Amino acid sequence: MRNTVLTAILALSLSTSASYAQSPWTGADDLPTNPLACDGTPAAAASMPYDGGVPTNAPDRKGKTIKVVDVPKLVGIGYFNATSKGIADAAAEMGNMEAKTDGPSKANIDDQITLIDNYITSGVDGILFAANDPVAIAPVLKKALAAGINVVGYDANSEPDARQWFVNQAQFNGIAKAMVDSMAAEVGEDGAFAIVTSTFTTPNQARWIAEMQAYQSKCHPNMKWLETVEAQEDNILSFNQANTLINKYGDELKGIFGMTSVATPAAADAVTQAKQCGNIAVVGLATPNAMKPYVNDGCVKSVVLWNPVDLGYAAAYVLRAVADGTLEPGATSVNAGKLGDLSVINGSEILLGAPTVFTKDNINDFDF
Amino acid sequence: MTVNQASIGATPSRSGFLRRIAVEYGQELIVFSAIIALFIVVSIVNPRFISANNLTTIFAGNAYIAVAAIGMSMVIITGHIDVSVGALIGVLATISGSLAVAGYPIWFAWLAPVLVGMAINSFIGILVAYARIPSIVVTLGAMSILRGGLISVTGGDWITDLPSGFMIAQKRFFDIPAPLIFMVVLTVLAALWMRHTPFGRSLYAIGGNKEAALATGIPIARRTVMVFAIHGAFAGLATILFATQLQVIQSTVPPNLELTIITASVIGGVSILGGTGTVIGSTMAAILFATIGSALIFVNVSAYWLRAVIGLLILATVLADMWRRRAKS
Repeated sequence: MRNTVLTAILALSLSTSASYAQSPWTGADDLPTNPLACDGTPAAAASMPYDGGVPTNAPDRKGKTIKVVDVPKLVGIGYFNATSKGIADAAAEMGNMEAKTDGPSKANIDDQITLIDNYITSGVDGILFAANDPVAIAPVLKKALAAGINVVGYDANSEPDARQWFVNQAQFNGIAKAMVDSMAAEVGEDGAFAIVTSTFTTPNQARWIAEMQAYQSKCHPNMKWLETVEAQEDNILSFNQANTLINKYGDELKGIFGMTSVATPAAADAVTQAKQCGNIAVVGLATPNAMKPYVNDGCVKSVVLWNPVDLGYAAAYVLRAVADGTLEPGATSVNAGKLGDLSVINGSEILLGAPTVFTKDNINDFDF
Repeated sequence: MTVNQASIGATPSRSGFLRRIAVEYGQELIVFSAIIALFIVVSIVNPRFISANNLTTIFAGNAYIAVAAIGMSMVIITGHIDVSVGALIGVLATISGSLAVAGYPIWFAWLAPVLVGMAINSFIGILVAYARIPSIVVTLGAMSILRGGLISVTGGDWITDLPSGFMIAQKRFFDIPAPLIFMVVLTVLAALWMRHTPFGRSLYAIGGNKEAALATGIPIARRTVMVFAIHGAFAGLATILFATQLQVIQSTVPPNLELTIITASVIGGVSILGGTGTVIGSTMAAILFATIGSALIFVNVSAYWLRAVIGLLILATVLADMWRRRAKS
């Protein structure tokens, strides 16, 4: 028995050949990639017919003051407080929108459906939503469209035909560009880096990693990917994995990408405790609150995510444009106040724009 | 049959000393050999594997699992199981961190998870021992309650701005990382207690043969509650390491933490049927996991293998357990 176990472990330890293959990066999916231009020129959107819904017999709301309810996944958390603030800012700026936020206290789809149903009954001109479930929310949104209400989603989509437009906070290639550009700026064009992700098959993370590889080989060809390690959604494991990478590569390792809000702060903690701040950069996707300690003490310079205040702000402008009839099926862009013109993608989605890189200068302005 | 296990050390055996060690500590020896073998092989492939920093990562990084597995081993040896310990550690970490941030004395923030862990697990123990509900049922319920409660109370927010004095897992004493000291001291104390005190030995009797234990006058129900309470204390001690390793305490616990802890006990030689095993074995198994995890990165083997290897180890352990039981009877 003892022999069996030892043999198995030895055999596994020695089976090193397969993973030396350099391409593709471990943890990336093999779907087609679409890297953005290195200089940030927006990608030419493949035109796709409008696939959103249309309200039935909507009254002419052009220029009139409209009553809007915003129903996020849940209320009382920093993230949706921020989107709510963006909506309120936009409403105050436009002057002809009365917006209020009312959502479930837990991210519960049943409560959210009930709430929306009540607002349809009480009568509103527009509904903004972030869906707890894309399929389950569809019937009640269709009911709103049938009642002539303008419906626009943000953050979390529904089935396309259950709403008119959806404001998409970030595309995979946009996040990938921001991540790789930030890393290149910190470690230089020939720096070597590793990735800490949740699992190799987590859909979003795998997509981001694939786009990062495509963008890196196109725009920063001399940077070197070392390896990707899995850390589940486990903070201590993320910390241990990041430490092991530091121990394994020594001076060769110049940067670590964290692919989740769990992995990024844990990697930053590993670099901090290994006293490698300044030698090893940490760039990652994470919420500002999780990263404040590391950004404020200077160990982490770039945290990539979208700005939820801008997301709510854009959603409110999109709803206003829909009500005014200025944003119609087939449009290619929409004006969103101070954010400028935002492009239409995927038929009935509006892209918020490049993601936000949170730094020491702005991270403390956010609470989510 | 299994009660004999506890008394082998006390009664002179006819077989030789080495044979006795091999029978009594068979699984511990397997795990220990595996650790040594891994260290030798991987160090040859990449000498950085045995750098001081990497040894710290291996021995200190998983110490909280080893500490939690001490209490879990006692529970399993007594013939029970606890699947709520992962959720419990999450709840205790939030309590401890909240107290530290709120400005309570640091010692109180460290003591609270131990006391609350004992209180919660005493309650579980009472349901198991007196209401006679199977421990798997009670602790499945407790797991849901603790997990749900944690998310409801925290709203998913993380605890930040922890005072630096709170971070005991990041400290070193005599240049030895604190988690390593926790792990070694607690394991040795628990091992001595289980081997040399009537209370400790009675756990093997209860888990091995309940009727016989009852006949010899062991207060089974009371001991069961106390074992769960002690397990709660170890969960609290594990929490101190878990909560102070990073500057941020998450409101979620590592997925499958309870399974990792149970697996450490089982691979360390604690029979899932109760009655046999030691906490030295479970601690070494926790070290083995950490060693395998680090080794896979050093020799560039996908982490998928970690699960395969651990699965293989579980099967091998159970087979070895059955083989030893058959050999003895």
